[in-house]
Amino acid sequence: MRLYKLRHPSFALYPKQLRLMTNIIWLQGGACSGNTMSFLNAEEPTVCDLVTDFGIKILWHPSLGLELGDNLQSLLWDCILGKIPLDIFVFEGTVVNAPNGTGEWNRFAHRPMKNWVSDLAKVAKFVVAVGDCASWGGIPAMAPNPTESQGLQFLKRQKGGFLGADYRSQAGVPVINIPGCPAHPDWITQILVAIATGRLDDITLDEFHRPQTFFKTFTQTGCTRNIHFAYKATTAEFGQRKGCLFYDLGCRGPMTHSSCNRILWNRVSSKTRAGMPCLGCTEPEFPFHDLKPGTVFKTQTVMGVPKEIPPGMKKKEYALLTVVAKDAAPDWADEEFFTV
Amino acid sequence: MSIQTLDISPVGRVEGDLDVRVEIEDGYVVNAWTHAELFRGFEVILRGKDSQAGLIVTPRICGICGGSHLTCASWALDTAWETEVPRNAILARNLGQLVETIQSIPRYFYGLFAIDLTNKKYQHSRYYNEAVRRFAAFSGKHYEIGVTISAKPVEIYALLGGQWPHSSYMVPGGVTCAPTLTDITRAWSILEYFRSNWLEPIWLGCSLERYEEIQTYDDFMVWLDENRAHRQSDLGFYWRMGLDIGLDKFGGGVGKYVSWGYLPHEDKYQKPTIEGRNAAVIFKSGVYDSYSDTHTLMDHSFVRENTAHAWYDEGTADIHPLDRTTKPILKNNKDFNKAYSWSTAVRHVDYGRLEAGPLARQLIAGGKHGESWQHYDGFILDVFKRMGGPSVHLRQLARVHELVKLYRQVERCLRELKLNEPWYIKPKQKDGRGWGATEAARGSLCHWVELVDGKIRNYQVIAPTTWNVGPRDAQQKRGPIEEALIGTPITDPTDPIEVGHVARSFDSCLVCTVHAHDAKTGQELARFRTA
Repeated sequence: MRLYKLRHPSFALYPKQLRLMTNIIWLQGGACSGNTMSFLNAEEPTVCDLVTDFGIKILWHPSLGLELGDNLQSLLWDCILGKIPLDIFVFEGTVVNAPNGTGEWNRFAHRPMKNWVSDLAKVAKFVVAVGDCASWGGIPAMAPNPTESQGLQFLKRQKGGFLGADYRSQAGVPVINIPGCPAHPDWITQILVAIATGRLDDITLDEFHRPQTFFKTFTQTGCTRNIHFAYKATTAEFGQRKGCLFYDLGCRGPMTHSSCNRILWNRVSSKTRAGMPCLGCTEPEFPFHDLKPGTVFKTQTVMGVPKEIPPGMKKKEYALLTVVAKDAAPDWADEEFFTV
Repeated sequence: MSIQTLDISPVGRVEGDLDVRVEIEDGYVVNAWTHAELFRGFEVILRGKDSQAGLIVTPRICGICGGSHLTCASWALDTAWETEVPRNAILARNLGQLVETIQSIPRYFYGLFAIDLTNKKYQHSRYYNEAVRRFAAFSGKHYEIGVTISAKPVEIYALLGGQWPHSSYMVPGGVTCAPTLTDITRAWSILEYFRSNWLEPIWLGCSLERYEEIQTYDDFMVWLDENRAHRQSDLGFYWRMGLDIGLDKFGGGVGKYVSWGYLPHEDKYQKPTIEGRNAAVIFKSGVYDSYSDTHTLMDHSFVRENTAHAWYDEGTADIHPLDRTTKPILKNNKDFNKAYSWSTAVRHVDYGRLEAGPLARQLIAGGKHGESWQHYDGFILDVFKRMGGPSVHLRQLARVHELVKLYRQVERCLRELKLNEPWYIKPKQKDGRGWGATEAARGSLCHWVELVDGKIRNYQVIAPTTWNVGPRDAQQKRGPIEEALIGTPITDPTDPIEVGHVARSFDSCLVCTVHAHDAKTGQELARFRTA
């Protein structure tokens, strides 16, 4: 696995006391605004804290910006022409290329959005993709991809995307991907703060440009159903207070890289804790199997054994473990567990 | 005086990107065109997919009202599969819908709308300095509290669905969760926190009970004059400042309104059918025609879409959404005499163009139509009549008036949940047609689904902003926002903030609108195919 160390010269060149504000432009392409909504749920720090405590200046954001029309266009051109330094360009949503590579199906401020993306990516010190769509295409890029959508530096698992595999921002780093549908607010705020406070050097990106600090572990890490996973005790159908969602209901928790059960959602829970199977939404393949008939909320199996098993395990050993685990399982593993 | 044409791209803070062209004469808008400039083709994506794919895909049409999409997607499958939905599940779905809408109210008011009150245009208003102190972006005292508190209600959604936005916890036959004592207690506590830290002290300046005494325009005036706390609450302050800067003077619209109604009653919709929905929802459906002052029930069969001025090659006739043939125009050139938007024009077969949203809901809540047990509230209808019709200002009042009522419904759901009863009854998958509807925070939302051989044959969505932001129809009738822009004063054409006021008063959500329509088959797009 090729890892990226985020060593770059920008902070050496600009002593922290001279970098009073970190300018951000946030735009949306083929987006649902879900990452914005998620971002607004942030609590420590809140979106307002970013501005008041961490020196982040949101020059413009579709839901928060003050300017409209011509005034916004002037602001964007000032960034592109270098009159206003652009520290972070955040993009949410896919880059829409339809029809026929022109991008006219997603126009913004009188131009195809993809032209703005291309221009802003050239001047930005850092480019951050929030959510699956900007990272690798997400749902809009699902077959038949009617909008010819791409992520910024990937299309699904394939490297390249809209900006190309060799793209590096002004600070010399590739697009930082914060995937998820949506991305967790803390993943977004922590990366923005890391950039603003010069701590980005400490983190490492994985082969899909995801910060390992959030995406090295599995969704399963910290799930309250781990013990049921170990004993192969299943949740056979929804609305039950027992079992693991992996065996029947299609949960992808063991195979998905995220921190959903370490950094809880909305501070209170996670999908798997609440009984909803993990859909694997931080991985480039989401939505898995292109939602073909028979694949939704249903574990794909061969002769009763899950087709996909936790990464790194061998099929044979997994089968062996299953036999042992089922034999060893205590009676309570199949009884109601998370009781009222 | 010559006519000045102004193209505004984009009008921000409307969720998604909206472009508007206005013609201005003597400082007033005399003609307007709204165009949606983004296309994602969700319905194409859904074709041929698993019957349940809508549960995963449609919440992602819109990150703002994903819970509303999920509500529609699940009820659509329930009606197609003829499921039985246990009462706990109906309550848990309603709970998700409710807290998502409550979240949206402060987030919309402070984040999207009230910032405009700090625009330099209003610096001569005697309320200006106070508005800046309260509502300035990021640093305003109440902006910060309001935006932060808006994250609280959806913590309750996360207790049920694991996260907000984008959970898929509503499934045909019920819900995926089975909450325990902890979840219910935390939900109560979150609700109390929301009330005691913002809703009462900052928003209302009084108790919920005192606010609930307001039934008429006169009652509201009495409340406003009653004491300083009421006048200085954000509601009281906004009301006074809005009048001072003339927000009651423009932003009218088409004068006819639609609501699907929502919140199926837990004892009346356990065997969900399309036909049975109107008589089962707590907040009733309806159409209100302000010209004849009449209320009637709404039904999905009354909906028509027209693509005469949209970028689709589907003729000029009005058709029912399930009959659409889905042919987008490849070259989406802007031509204001022909096609200029990805949004279609939605019409009622008898009433024509209708406005959707909180104002529509509240005007319909004031009708005597529907079932005798259904919710009735004549307040906004009374204000509407006393103020001589709709405006930007009245839309705001209608939006925030729902807060206390929705809060009470959340309390009711939490009280009614019976933790040891079922949450899910496993259904049998079937082919057929289904329809699910709800009211998203910003208005009427519905999904049609047609299932054949365990696959989606056709999936159609009409979102609230499709109703509101649509272009002209075949009869050249303007859409509701286009109509509402007529007569809007423009003080400074270089900063046409008034256009923003009108567009934002609909709380438009462009991400829904344009994603809710069909595209082509995908054949010639092979090089971008990912399968």
